[in-house]
Amino acid sequence: MAPSKKKHASSQPCIIPGGFTELSLQFSSDSAAQHKLYVKEHKVRAQKSSHRPLDRTLFVLNIPPYCSEGVVKELFSQFGCVQSVELRDHPGSFQDSGPKLSRFFKPVAKQGFRVGYVVFENSSSLKAAKSHPHDVSLVVCTEQRPVKTGVQKWIQQYTESFINPDKLQQIVDSFMEGYDKRKEEEAERQRKEAEQQQEDEEGWVKVTRGSKGTKGRPHSEAANERTLQKEMRKKKRKELLNFYTWQHRNTQKEHIADLRKKFEEDKQRIALLRAQRKFKPY
Amino acid sequence: MLCCCCYCQMIPSESHEEEENEAPVKAKRSKTEDAGGEEVVYHPVKLSRSDLYRPPTAEELNQLKEAESLFHCSLLKMQMEELLKEVALSERRKQQIDSFIQTVTKLLRTVPESPEVEVSDLSWLSSAVKVPFLLVPKTTKGKFHMTPPASVDLIGSYPLGTCTKPRVMVDLAVTIPADVLHPKDVVNQRYPRKRALYLAGLAQYLASSSDIGSMLYSCLHGNRLRPVLLLTPPGKDSSSFIVRVHACPPPGFFKPNRFHPQRNNIRTEWYTGLQTSHEPPTPHYNSSVLGDLLPRAHLQFLSAVSSQCSAFADGVALLKVWLRQRELHQGAGCFNGFLASMLIAYLLTSHRISNSMTAYQLLRNTLNFLASTDLTVNGISLAKDPDSTPSLAEFHDAFQVVFVDPSGHLNMCADMTACTYKQLQHEASVSMQFWDNPTVDGFHSLLMTPKPMIRTSDHIFQLCELVKLQSSCKKLNLLSELMDHSGNYVHTALPYILSLLQRGLGQRIHLLTHSLSPDPEWSVESEAPKHKAQPPLSFGVLLMPELAASALERGPPADSPKAAEFRQLWGSRSELRRFQDGAITEAVLWDGESMCQKRLVPRQIITHLLQLYHVFDMYCALQLPSTGEEESLLVVQSYDDLSRKLWRLEGLPLSITAVQGAHPALRYTQVFPPLPLKLDYSFFDREKTSRSLVPKEGKPCPAYITPITVICHMEGSGKWPHDRLAIRHIRTAFHIRLGELLKKHHNYTCRPCPTHLDVWKDGLVFRIHVAYHREPQVLRESVNAEGLLVVRDNEEAQALEMATIHKPLLTSTLHGLQQQHPCFGAVCRLAKRWLGAQLFGDDITEDTADLLVASLFLQPAPFTPPGSPQVGFLRFLHLLSSFDWRNNPLVVNLNNQLAATDYTEIKNDFTATRESLPVLFIATPKDKKQSIWTKRAPSVQMLQRVVMVAAESLKLLENQLMDSNQIQDVRVVMRPPLDAYDVLIHLNPKQVPRGIMAGNVTQSGGALPVINYNPVSLYMAELREAFGDLALFFCDPHGGTVIAVLWKPKAFIPVPFKTSQVSARSVVVTGEEANTVPNVEAILEDFRIMGKGLIKSLEARTEKWSL
Repeated sequence: MAPSKKKHASSQPCIIPGGFTELSLQFSSDSAAQHKLYVKEHKVRAQKSSHRPLDRTLFVLNIPPYCSEGVVKELFSQFGCVQSVELRDHPGSFQDSGPKLSRFFKPVAKQGFRVGYVVFENSSSLKAAKSHPHDVSLVVCTEQRPVKTGVQKWIQQYTESFINPDKLQQIVDSFMEGYDKRKEEEAERQRKEAEQQQEDEEGWVKVTRGSKGTKGRPHSEAANERTLQKEMRKKKRKELLNFYTWQHRNTQKEHIADLRKKFEEDKQRIALLRAQRKFKPY
Repeated sequence: MLCCCCYCQMIPSESHEEEENEAPVKAKRSKTEDAGGEEVVYHPVKLSRSDLYRPPTAEELNQLKEAESLFHCSLLKMQMEELLKEVALSERRKQQIDSFIQTVTKLLRTVPESPEVEVSDLSWLSSAVKVPFLLVPKTTKGKFHMTPPASVDLIGSYPLGTCTKPRVMVDLAVTIPADVLHPKDVVNQRYPRKRALYLAGLAQYLASSSDIGSMLYSCLHGNRLRPVLLLTPPGKDSSSFIVRVHACPPPGFFKPNRFHPQRNNIRTEWYTGLQTSHEPPTPHYNSSVLGDLLPRAHLQFLSAVSSQCSAFADGVALLKVWLRQRELHQGAGCFNGFLASMLIAYLLTSHRISNSMTAYQLLRNTLNFLASTDLTVNGISLAKDPDSTPSLAEFHDAFQVVFVDPSGHLNMCADMTACTYKQLQHEASVSMQFWDNPTVDGFHSLLMTPKPMIRTSDHIFQLCELVKLQSSCKKLNLLSELMDHSGNYVHTALPYILSLLQRGLGQRIHLLTHSLSPDPEWSVESEAPKHKAQPPLSFGVLLMPELAASALERGPPADSPKAAEFRQLWGSRSELRRFQDGAITEAVLWDGESMCQKRLVPRQIITHLLQLYHVFDMYCALQLPSTGEEESLLVVQSYDDLSRKLWRLEGLPLSITAVQGAHPALRYTQVFPPLPLKLDYSFFDREKTSRSLVPKEGKPCPAYITPITVICHMEGSGKWPHDRLAIRHIRTAFHIRLGELLKKHHNYTCRPCPTHLDVWKDGLVFRIHVAYHREPQVLRESVNAEGLLVVRDNEEAQALEMATIHKPLLTSTLHGLQQQHPCFGAVCRLAKRWLGAQLFGDDITEDTADLLVASLFLQPAPFTPPGSPQVGFLRFLHLLSSFDWRNNPLVVNLNNQLAATDYTEIKNDFTATRESLPVLFIATPKDKKQSIWTKRAPSVQMLQRVVMVAAESLKLLENQLMDSNQIQDVRVVMRPPLDAYDVLIHLNPKQVPRGIMAGNVTQSGGALPVINYNPVSLYMAELREAFGDLALFFCDPHGGTVIAVLWKPKAFIPVPFKTSQVSARSVVVTGEEANTVPNVEAILEDFRIMGKGLIKSLEARTEKWSL
């Protein structure tokens, strides 16, 4: 598409060590300075994910904070149809984030420079992007696609933060419904497991790591520790203190050792203070 | 190396000591060596086993026991020993002094004789040397000639061995030969004038010698009748010590009973030219002449005492340091080193302390004696046979403070005012109070902390134009007193002014102090300065917090005899008033509508009392136009109402267990307390669905409305889910429900959000957060791969605990502190305003600043808790700049919950893990080990800068406040130095919201205003998120129109290309290597893009950058 026309121009794609292609990006057509995006096909050895198909995903570094997912999608659609865009703070594997949340309950995203995974519909777009000449910049804010920043953006954010209480209640209700359902399913599963451990008609018990089995041993770290301490205390209670002469002597020795230690500590503190000239009163 | 010595004493002295003891000694040696050298970091002591459990010797046991029993910490004993080493004179210095004294003595012996002339004839004196005396009246009878001195002796502290650094003064008494004087010279200032002439003669002769460095005249303790000559050695030693030459009559030349305090030695006719039948006594004149007669006897007496008590010299040295830190050691009517040694001698000879006591005990007992004995009522005497000398009662009639010397004739405290003695007593009793308190660093507070007047007194006033006191002496009919003081009208009028102030201020003050005018020094070539030439008199008061601000002064009933006296004191301000209890009394009502005006009542009183003079209020420049206390009170009242209403709400599925405020405004420490305000609707757009206002593009930013955080704890119940997301949704449901109920019952406009509920009430916005006490626990729990439930601390849980537990607790505790100390809030606000203005608002957060200020009130030693916002602010700056943040934790003992053992525990934990703790470490009862408030900030560099700027500000402020001649522009300390920053982003003032805006209280209900919308902080947050690893951003949160940017020192160092480190960077390829550097042009462009509409201009100071 577009890049094929520019290929025979003097400019070449700029490729740096590491296999990244440098793309320039400027906010508007009259911006004086440009950011550099670094793009490369997404390549990982192990994990295969349907979210990031290896042959069609472009890995983009250094996306400025004012580029939202929508903006990035439009920017890269000049190389071919974009299926999805994922922006993240750090490069890393795809994580599933539990049940679906409404926009009001999502944690606030950090607004720094981000990395992006752009998934095209065709793998050919990948090549087109990589061979884009470095001196032709991508423009973020054009007349057809204004991007709000600064005061305009903050006012918009403020306006969007309003939500009708009824609607909010609905969201809460639907989430809690889902939550209750999940809870019930869980309880059901546990009940079934427990059932399995009952004797069947022939008197056999199926042994699994179910709830009944775990009852005997502590199931949390804290409980684990408590049991250990209990044992220790029990042992200690049985000991006699200051009973034999040697024990008494030991206590006295400990006391003198304590005093000595304190004396030494103080002395060292003094040495430290002296080193800092702390005794000059004026 | 000193350590080694004291350790060696502990080493067993028996020669047949086993071999095994050798090893630890060696180990110890090497250890102390590196401790004394470069090593400045404290490490926990590690003693080897054999070292700790070695059999003790008797000597060692004794030493350990003494240290344990005598001092609550042996540290204090060692610290005092070290301090004494610092102030003691070195051997080298003593040799210098001795050789210089020899030279001077030799020179003095060869003073040439001059022919006898009339006293008033000064022709024998060359014009280059003036007489150090104010000749009023001009002439007196008598003859004078110069001859070599009869003897030259060392007197005072140097021969006694109590001389201390700094400003080493060696006193040299030069005896005027008997043939120069006449026994009748006592009368009419003849002797003092001859003494001055003799000094001038010595000065004239010494001026020609090259062995003398510089020569100045001065006078002893501000007494113009006793001029002295100050000599310094030549060359580079000139600043190391000063020799003070006194001229004295031969011992026993005058009869001591001539100087009885009730005898007259200045004739009125000679002094004023008027005839009187009755000659008034001249006690002050008498004592100043008598003082010249006795120094040798005093030295003998003190040497005898000192030889009995081995710790005498050290005890005196400690007491001198103590006095000097309290600025009581010099000036007219001071408690000088001589008095200090005399006092200790008195305690020793009267067997109140024993000769075998250590210096530490001497100091302690002396302070105890001072605190408990009032010398203004019960004077003390060192005289052996009191019958032949004036009685104490006679001394009390003539002087305010009485301490009689061994001869029984001289009151050594003749010039001291009762106020100075009361101040001394107050200082001693304060010292005794904190001495035994193991939670206070006794040594530091006692001997190391300077207490200048400006940081000690709650209010300071200055009396300028001292010359006006001359006329007031006439008005007060003080001519005979003026004669007694030989024309020094300042000293004459001072006691009267003090008693006037004391009467006027009465119950409002705790203590009235005044500055001791320093001894004047002038060159031998110039005339003696006039009395008015001394610096202005400063008066300091310590206020009684309960009574200081009351606007009404209720006098005696109209028909009582005291009424006339009252009317005379207050003049036209006094009027008859009828009170609710039916009494009709004289009363004065001062202006005092607001708290701010009430604070000024003492000032109004003083101005009224001293209206003859030009009184200058030191703190007037630091006065806030409105101190905002009323506003804070309104907020708190409104909050109390809301909290009551929340408690009473019915129809919630779970009940409310606690409603807690968590906002500075609710503890009176918000810099600009929220003001109920009226809105201009044309500046807003409207949001249809929720009837709320939103800011309008193109219009100035709406006034910032602070949401006041309120935490609402809900009852725990099995119904709460055990899942973080579910809890958040349930909380939201609570917000919605609370909002509905408040709207229904009280018609408040509410806006529920997932995180909070905003309530618009009385023109204020309260932001209610519903909290569930188990939520932090839930956030910490997770199930690991083995199915084991693990509890791990994380940031999210900490932040939640901070918001729902620590902040409300701090708020309520500090609210309580405000109730105890009415000016706590005002100090906090001044301090925070300063921090904000200096762009430190993000490093020393509001909570941290409040805690720092709280520490000033909770642990004021050696001061008393600040009684005015100004002195509190000065002490805050002093705390910031002088506290040793590196080596000490600041313990803020809120509610007095920490015991002494907790302090040691905190200190030990602190020293053991110093490296991993925040640089500014604050421990509180609920947080002994972590310092949660300062965890995030400040960094080392920022703390250093804060300390530096605080020290500068303090210096500037104190200079300006103490100097009434300077133009008072204290706002200078509120202007940050901007030259240190790399980029300045200037903001459009119209888009910067301001906190202050007055208006009428709007009705509850109606549209919700724009809440918590602050473009500057939004912009700052975006900048920090995007460029936080490259630069630091600073801004004044209280309406500052500039954002200062500082590149981090390592920002511009190229780093190898890494996918995780390319934010805002561009790649530079050199050969095979790819490095990244920040893309500065694009970053500056981003500053502009991200702050579109807010930024006015961008100033990049490229010349400063080191790219």
